[in-house]
Amino acid sequence: MPKSRRFFNAHGKREWLLPVLFIAPAIAVLLSLSIYPLIYSLTVSLQEETAAGVTWSLGNFARLLTDDFFRTALGHTLVYATAALTCEFLLGLGLALLLNKQIRGRSVFRASLLVPMMLPTVVVGVVWRLLLHSNFGALNGTLKQFGINTETLTWTASPRLAMLSVIAVDVWQWTPFVFLVLLAGLQAIPQEPYEAALIDGSSRWQTFRHVTLPLLKPSILIVLLLRTMDLLRVFDQIFILTEGGPGFATETISLYIYRTAFRFFDFGYAAAMSFVLLALTNVISVIYIKFLQAKETA
Amino acid sequence: MRPTIILTLLLLLVLTSCNRTVEPTPRQLTLAIVSGVEGDALKQAAADYGSQFGIHINIAQFPYANLFEKELIDLKSRTGAYDLIMLDDPWFPRFANEHLLTELTPLLRGSGLASPDTDFVETSLALCRHPYESGPLYALPYVGNSQLFFYRKDLFEKYSLKPPASWTDALTAVKTIHENEKAGANGGQVYGYVMRAAQGNAAVADFMPIFWAFGGEMFDAGGKPTVNSPAGIAALEFMVELGKYSPPGYASFNADDVGAHLLQGTAAMSINWPAWISSFNDASKSKVVGKMEFTTLPAAQKQGQAEIGNWLIAIPRDSHNAQLAVEFLIWATSAEQMKRSAQRGNPPTRKSLFQDPELLQKYPAYPAQLRSLESSRPRPRTPQWNEIENAFGIFLSKANSGTLSPAEAMNQANAEIEKILQRAR
Repeated sequence: MPKSRRFFNAHGKREWLLPVLFIAPAIAVLLSLSIYPLIYSLTVSLQEETAAGVTWSLGNFARLLTDDFFRTALGHTLVYATAALTCEFLLGLGLALLLNKQIRGRSVFRASLLVPMMLPTVVVGVVWRLLLHSNFGALNGTLKQFGINTETLTWTASPRLAMLSVIAVDVWQWTPFVFLVLLAGLQAIPQEPYEAALIDGSSRWQTFRHVTLPLLKPSILIVLLLRTMDLLRVFDQIFILTEGGPGFATETISLYIYRTAFRFFDFGYAAAMSFVLLALTNVISVIYIKFLQAKETA
Repeated sequence: MRPTIILTLLLLLVLTSCNRTVEPTPRQLTLAIVSGVEGDALKQAAADYGSQFGIHINIAQFPYANLFEKELIDLKSRTGAYDLIMLDDPWFPRFANEHLLTELTPLLRGSGLASPDTDFVETSLALCRHPYESGPLYALPYVGNSQLFFYRKDLFEKYSLKPPASWTDALTAVKTIHENEKAGANGGQVYGYVMRAAQGNAAVADFMPIFWAFGGEMFDAGGKPTVNSPAGIAALEFMVELGKYSPPGYASFNADDVGAHLLQGTAAMSINWPAWISSFNDASKSKVVGKMEFTTLPAAQKQGQAEIGNWLIAIPRDSHNAQLAVEFLIWATSAEQMKRSAQRGNPPTRKSLFQDPELLQKYPAYPAQLRSLESSRPRPRTPQWNEIENAFGIFLSKANSGTLSPAEAMNQANAEIEKILQRAR
């Protein structure tokens, strides 16, 4: 308080009021829409509704250990996240490296590559669901034209191919995002290290490994972090494409939480699962940051 | 000084324009209905009522799963947003058990009716009572759906097949048509059978008639789950057998996919709801106008029993316009209005309408429908039905997609249902 008074100019008690008034709306929104629901959710997850009424217990968390559906859904989420992230990263990096050069029509390529990312996920889900329909979809129709037998290629309806299909749709939609961030990172790298590497006679692969990658590290960290957080939470596309099926094959944690909360009305258990997801995301994010920062200092 | 005055006036303007009351304006009703053929008839009836009596009826239309969520959340949080809701009969025990619905008998009496009249089909009206059949009345039935077995009569005539009386006959017919119709009317394979086996409501609804016909029961007399009885496993094995002659990907099919195959003429037989009959004969949607025939469900070890799937209309306990809502309900379920609805394709729930000569001319299958409705069975009336159906549906879908064998699927399903019941105790 004394500091601000000195800063603004000693004119009485009114001076601290103005800054507080400015940030009050933002704090109110943060408290009401983020902090309060988080605490409420924690409260709900620690309560159980029994015949005797509402009691405090760790029952919801204990149930997580014996619930096969939860474990399977968690497994699916991790498989989905890993596969999609790997494909998106490699493709995005490749595209960014390609389009970093001055080639003709570069801006056209860049603009058209960004289109999938700009579509709402629900729209992407609906369109791909129609395209991948085993009997009336365009993909199987095209394959049939080339004489390929599509009897077993039921994409989102096949237990083997469903996970692959939803991963492919996610890669289609979000590789442009990875591409965008990595391209920005590449363009921020100065020319000097490259010139030095050229003088030292380093090969293209060595340049890439020892010059490009280390300087790109902050961008890589950001893009991996953001994508991982999004992939762990994935809901829209899977809900529209397969609704978790066939037979639970593509059910992820978010879908299971949704079903538990809104179809079975078991908010306590759903809240407990949400906290597990939150903890998982936090742990993975911390690992990312530690890993990539540690390498930098080495 | 001037800026301050202007600012104050603007602020006052903004504050006074934010004048929203919780009470809805009088002479207005809000109706929550399901999207698709089953909800359209009620939607049109509501429009008629609105123009006839000058009462504005707001329609909130949602797909099946979303409708359930919206209704449950709204009724539990007691907002009174809806005055009338459509309920699929398996949801009814959940809503009634948690005291979310208004008891109708006092309201009916207030409008001059002693009780719901005896013209309603007994099985339909029984669904609206909690406990089932004997308890007080909480809803009135509107869409008189009970399953029928649909088949292509032109293909049956072609191969001299008789309408199947048993599931074995049905399988023979399925194989015959499937093997011989490699290049059907559209140039592609005509599949012998089509069904929906998407996990959840879809798979369970299509499986129950087979399950019951083979002698399976979901629960024994003591309330323990018995889906993995030998009869139950045999029924699932039969379903998977039928699946061999169904379009690929049927393990994820919903009602729309089944409808699409039947309308396109690419499948010859199916279990389906009467609400689809008018679509089959609508030339703008169907390629099989006049070719679809229906009969009651085939038998196996036991008599074929259709699964009843009526849509009921109920009044939430916290509706602000209960009296107005019940007047609409009485009007909509009256014989005259139900007849108009029936002419638009809605299966009625009144016996007199199934025997009405005008309607019989348009829907010659009404006697079959009435027989099906009167001998139909509801799905188990337990408040945990949603969870049980979800778990059971997952395993049915797994068996149909080949991930699990029928025996494994039924055993795991039984264990899961046991867990659900344990939690509820």
